[in-house]
Amino acid sequence: MKPLTPLQRRNERKGRDQNAVDMNLVSLIDVFTILIFFLLSNSGAVETLASPRAVKLPESQSQKVPKETLLVVVTGTEILVNSKVVASVADAMRVDGDVVEPVKAALDVEASREVIRKESEADSKRVTIMADKDIPYRLLKKVMVSAARAGYSDVSFAVRQRFEP
Amino acid sequence: MPARRLKKTPAHLEITAFINLIVVLVPFLLSVAVFTNLSVIDLALPAQSNEQIQKLDPNKPLKLEVIVRSRWVEVNDKHGGRLIDPPIPNLATGPDVRTLSAAMQMIKQKYPQHDDASLLAENDIPYESIVHVMDAVRAGYQVQDKKIVVTDYFPNISVGDAPVVRQ
Repeated sequence: MKPLTPLQRRNERKGRDQNAVDMNLVSLIDVFTILIFFLLSNSGAVETLASPRAVKLPESQSQKVPKETLLVVVTGTEILVNSKVVASVADAMRVDGDVVEPVKAALDVEASREVIRKESEADSKRVTIMADKDIPYRLLKKVMVSAARAGYSDVSFAVRQRFEP
Repeated sequence: MPARRLKKTPAHLEITAFINLIVVLVPFLLSVAVFTNLSVIDLALPAQSNEQIQKLDPNKPLKLEVIVRSRWVEVNDKHGGRLIDPPIPNLATGPDVRTLSAAMQMIKQKYPQHDDASLLAENDIPYESIVHVMDAVRAGYQVQDKKIVVTDYFPNISVGDAPVVRQ
């Protein structure tokens, strides 16, 4: 048999070595690239309110953008002021009057903090209530009255956006 | 002698680094992405919840009250009487917001300058119903020339207790 030329030998070796599985990834990359652009454009809006897992917010057609304010969260079982648990819902419901003392005390502490930046002074008296959609009005009223007594007179409700013409 | 021909293999793109990047980026962006947009409804609360301070202003033509009860929704004018009579009965799912929205549209046409409304709720009304009623009172959709536009009805809503029903 005639010996192979060096070039032929190289080609043969190349063919032998090429045993890597050739995956066809074109469509996968297509999908990923489109997904990346979608997600990048979607995440452009910065959220000022993180959507909590424990609270099922009611849906509303309001399109007002939330501001960065003090946050009172009322879940099915607990009341949180600035993500610290201050009272349980069962206790709050048992209170006779309209003011829930632990909530008011926690809000008083927040209210006593000095505002450093002038621009945020107007927002310092605002409070956003993020309440579970199933709580009764009685509890909502107690939270609102407690907030009002602590000096937070501007109340906004956090809701989930929904479009329904 | 046969012609020496180079065996051409198809050109390969070296995209491993690119795929690596994408594989890392996609889960990261998915975890960061927000799919539920939050918004807020502003309340116009009276400065103090003291009834004596709030006097009826005779110059205002209307003091709209929407009273949410467990079985129906009343739409009243505090100066006198019911604006919608009889009250709007609730559906199985909660207050009948569609009928209420239509009623609000009617009242808004009568008092176009008026922006305030009070929402008075009974103690056991769930928060969700309150928000839905607020939505109906605050704004509504109207059809104008094949387009749907949002019209504000009574955007300044305050919240209070419903008066007790006299039996």
